[in-house]
Amino acid sequence: MSELHTESALAHVSAPAGLAADIREIADRGMIDLRGLASDRRFMAAAKAALGIDLPKKPRTSVSWGDIKVLWLSVDQWLILTSRGKATELLASLRKALGGVHSLAVDVSDMRAVIRMEGEGSREILMKGCSLDLIDGSYGAGTVRRMRFAEIAALLHVVEDEVFDIYVFRSYAGYAWEFLLATAREPAKIRLFGNQAVKV
Amino acid sequence: MSNKPYRLAQGGSRIDRGRKVTFAFDGKQVQGFAGDTVASAVLASGQRVLGRSFKYHRPRGIVGLGSEEMNALVGVGDGARHEPNLRATQVELYDGLTAVSQNRWPSLSFDVGALNNKFSRLFPGGFYYKTFMWPKSFWKHVYEPLIRRAAGLGKAPEGRDPDTYEQIHVHCDVLVVGAGVAGLAAATAAAATGKRIIIADENPLFGGLADIAGGSIDGKPQIEWAREKAHALAEAENVHVLTRTTAVGHWHHNHLMLFERVADHDPALLEAQVPRHRLWKVRAARVILASGAIERPIAFANNDRPGIMLASAARAMALRYGVAPGAQGIVFTNNDDAYRTAMAFKQAGVGVRVVDSRGRAEGALVAEARAAGIDVAASSIISAVHSSLGGLNITGVKVAAYRKGQGRVITEKKVDCDFIAMSGGWNPALHLWCHNGGKIRFDEALQSFRPDHHHDQITAVGAANGTFALAAILAEATAAGEKAAGAKATKRALPKVDQASQNPLESLWFAPATGKYNEGNKHFVDFQNDVTAADLELAQREGYESVEHTKRYTTFGMATDQGKTSNLNGLGVLSEATGKPIAEIGVTTFRPPYTPFSFGSIAGMLTKTLFVAVRHTPVHQWHVDKGASFEPVGQWRRAYTYTRAGEDKHGSINREILCVRNKVGLLDASTLGKIEIKGPDAAEFLDRMYTNTFSTLKVGRCRYGLMMNELGFLTDDGVTVRLAEDHFLMHTTSGGADRIAAWLEEWLQTEWVHYKVFVTPVTEQWAQFAIAGPKAREVIAKLEPDFEISSEALPHMSFHEGKLGRYPVRFYRISFSGELSYEVATPSNFGRGLWNEIIAAGEEFGLEAYGTEALHVLRAEKGYIVIGDETDGTTTPIDVGLEGMVSKKKADFLGKRSLEQPYLKGPDRKQLVGLLTEDPNEVLPDGAYAVKVVKDKPPMETIGQVTSSYHSPTLGRSIAMALIQNGRSRMGETLSFPVEGKVIRAKITDPVFYDKEGAKQNV
Repeated sequence: MSELHTESALAHVSAPAGLAADIREIADRGMIDLRGLASDRRFMAAAKAALGIDLPKKPRTSVSWGDIKVLWLSVDQWLILTSRGKATELLASLRKALGGVHSLAVDVSDMRAVIRMEGEGSREILMKGCSLDLIDGSYGAGTVRRMRFAEIAALLHVVEDEVFDIYVFRSYAGYAWEFLLATAREPAKIRLFGNQAVKV
Repeated sequence: MSNKPYRLAQGGSRIDRGRKVTFAFDGKQVQGFAGDTVASAVLASGQRVLGRSFKYHRPRGIVGLGSEEMNALVGVGDGARHEPNLRATQVELYDGLTAVSQNRWPSLSFDVGALNNKFSRLFPGGFYYKTFMWPKSFWKHVYEPLIRRAAGLGKAPEGRDPDTYEQIHVHCDVLVVGAGVAGLAAATAAAATGKRIIIADENPLFGGLADIAGGSIDGKPQIEWAREKAHALAEAENVHVLTRTTAVGHWHHNHLMLFERVADHDPALLEAQVPRHRLWKVRAARVILASGAIERPIAFANNDRPGIMLASAARAMALRYGVAPGAQGIVFTNNDDAYRTAMAFKQAGVGVRVVDSRGRAEGALVAEARAAGIDVAASSIISAVHSSLGGLNITGVKVAAYRKGQGRVITEKKVDCDFIAMSGGWNPALHLWCHNGGKIRFDEALQSFRPDHHHDQITAVGAANGTFALAAILAEATAAGEKAAGAKATKRALPKVDQASQNPLESLWFAPATGKYNEGNKHFVDFQNDVTAADLELAQREGYESVEHTKRYTTFGMATDQGKTSNLNGLGVLSEATGKPIAEIGVTTFRPPYTPFSFGSIAGMLTKTLFVAVRHTPVHQWHVDKGASFEPVGQWRRAYTYTRAGEDKHGSINREILCVRNKVGLLDASTLGKIEIKGPDAAEFLDRMYTNTFSTLKVGRCRYGLMMNELGFLTDDGVTVRLAEDHFLMHTTSGGADRIAAWLEEWLQTEWVHYKVFVTPVTEQWAQFAIAGPKAREVIAKLEPDFEISSEALPHMSFHEGKLGRYPVRFYRISFSGELSYEVATPSNFGRGLWNEIIAAGEEFGLEAYGTEALHVLRAEKGYIVIGDETDGTTTPIDVGLEGMVSKKKADFLGKRSLEQPYLKGPDRKQLVGLLTEDPNEVLPDGAYAVKVVKDKPPMETIGQVTSSYHSPTLGRSIAMALIQNGRSRMGETLSFPVEGKVIRAKITDPVFYDKEGAKQNV
């Protein structure tokens, strides 16, 4: 048998010219879905021991430690991000630390496609697909938000002020990609609330 | 007059006389100026008739100023870019624009349908209901097609729309609807707080009617003040200004939709692929409604003749576009404001006189008009309009003495004129206020409705609130802006305002006519739907007492203008007909949209490939490359069959089936739902979710489970494997993956909260393939498994986690085809790689990919059910013959108690059986009904229906499954299935058609 062949969800597409933001797939991300009870001190301690950092308890936030990021998904669910190469090892040490503790840790590195969008105006582009008030100050770096994006479920991670990771289930990657390309076209660019060069 | 018949020598604040613009109207080249609308340019060219009316095909001209225009509807653009029913008063001119008039045949000046007018005695209110009742069959085949051709508005565009559209969601602190003086004052006050403000106006320029309303602010004309404020708002960092943007609707929690016409006015923008329209979905903490007011027409005889306009529209024609509707005009009014129109024409050198229905005409504006030498006839009305043949041109009017309540015309005199500017007062534009339940009250002074209270955070200011005096508007709007933005009221003095005061109006709902009532003397109330005062009175006499009934019976207020100019006049007519005050008549319901908006904007980006969010498996491209046809399964597109050159689908499906039965096949089963379930109570939890028992399942083994809902009806099925003592992996149907994951969570979160169980859906983490057929094991062996695959080491319904070559896999020996069969799952990114390996390894064994149709036939040959085919949401495990899978031992599980209900066990339930048609080549249609007795025509008593039906190449004949009343005790009976044109007969059999002993999968 030949070599292991890997192929990410958007392996065969690239963004065309004429977009108002930089859009690309992030294919090298390892992801672990972790479930446990935040009220269970053993669970929280074990998770910290394996990850080196406390799981975030505050809704819609994330924390990071080295190359590990932890995204709050719900009161008993987190998404742990690392590089793809380290996911297996991290999962193993997480499971080991969580031995005997009621929890469920699963490698979901291939379950979602991650699309990175960055550049000024990215927030307005995203607002063409979701009803979040992304230009409000509450969506600063580190914010995590599950949302309905266009017609599908998605997870938004504000990486930096103008850098966004959009997580969608793998099967919808093509749809999300096309939607972003359609809304990010330069001629459709919008700047909300600001000096406008329009005739009024 | 200039060389253009109606273009004035001077004036026109909106037009640039230095820039000529050429466009086509009804195929004729017409020249206008930059800044013109289609309405002003066509009128300037001397053309008064812009369309024919809906029912009577009467010639109609421009009446309004903007979105309230009801007559001058035009189609703009060619071919796929054609858009019908646009108001000519709102269509901005550009070079090369093409516009066509509507509802006329063959031409505007000669229209065959105008015969309807001659016979209008035959077309009273409720005409449609009275006339087209008999005979019944005529409606569909004769009346409706005829009416549709004769009535109707514009034509739909042809071909695919070449433009793009989009939507955007925005939140703001204050949304100001309308950018007249009131809106600008409110937005300016609100913006000073630094809060986020959106101000939108449907017109291309902010300022509302400031340019034609007279009066000054701080010593400057109103319009200059408005321009300054507009520019300041556009430059502010916390304000978003939107021109050409209509607030089309107001919904709960201050959700409004704004329809922005981004590029309609400039083909260069469309060329640059700017979205043509954008729909803004705005969530505003507070809304300030500054939508202004709409002038009322007056119902006088033949008030629809081309050349009769609203006074404000006539005035704007002169002041904005330098166009006069004629050379000699009459202003017909019941209020002071219209005197400004008289003054405007006087100053432009156009002949004008005033006919005022009020007993006393003596306000400041009246005095000014008189001083300017304008003839004012008080206590007078227009009682008749004379026009040239066909009503195309006005030649004069009759002016009669009038006293409110006196009725008949006694004395009248003829006055020459060629246009009329009418004003019956002003109605606050209440539409948005009322869309979401705002209350209104009748104001005696205005003789109109105005906003009362509203449950939402919305305030009306200015003319929309019934406030018309400039000083009052500024005070009210500024205060509302500050309040909405949460600022303290400023002590700062408001700007100094100078504006003529006005005397009150007197309502005039009906101006009596010369001669007999309805003989060519139509008093139009609803111009767009051709509803007259007489129609409304007739409806009243016929017993349509509720205004809502009158509306539907006469179609009054139901046209595309949503009754903007007609609603109150109609109520006035009804009030006089019934003797009830208008407040008691009530209003009809205001519904969105305020003006029509495009389907393009409603669809937004979600067209073509984005129309439906389609899901693809990791191997999708391979299927595409191999020429697969696809079928939707939930949002997925699954490969249906791989048809090769020289084959039809029937042929490829048969080939794929026989390949699985005789050699080996490969199926992309990645869409199967996969859910990890873990915790000390996981086994007990599964025992409750499924009808059968999972706590007894050994680690590393698989079990097929049936799931019911609380009602005892089947809802899902699939194979679950025990990964560890406290850890399971559940498979669900492809379509049920999300639903079942949510179902499990719901029970854990709301009912069995004491269970320590976590559930994580992992469907898309895994690409999963079935390798089925007698040669399956040989193919697997070639893939270098790092585990034992002999039947002893890996018997049917067992599981192993290991590697195939370098690919990590979850390996299941399970079968949905009855063959020796494995399912192999690998992380999705490896999916395509492993698929390629299997294809390569299988080559020497004759492996072929098979699609979902082959999968279905294979399972049907074995009598396996599919949830959704053999079940319909009211089917129990007993019905489908799987009673044996319903545990007798378990204390409780979902649906257990329901299944004990006698009616779910009764003898007449439909039961799953097999069917063999008498003619083996005849395939029963899916869903065909079995009947008790065949009759010539329906109805026939049915006893069941076909749930699955296929041609089985394995058996060389057709097979079917069906749910038949008491079917299991009718084995051997022959049933009749009447289908189109014939009756198919089929014998009831066991539903397992092939390999009843299950020998083939146990090798």
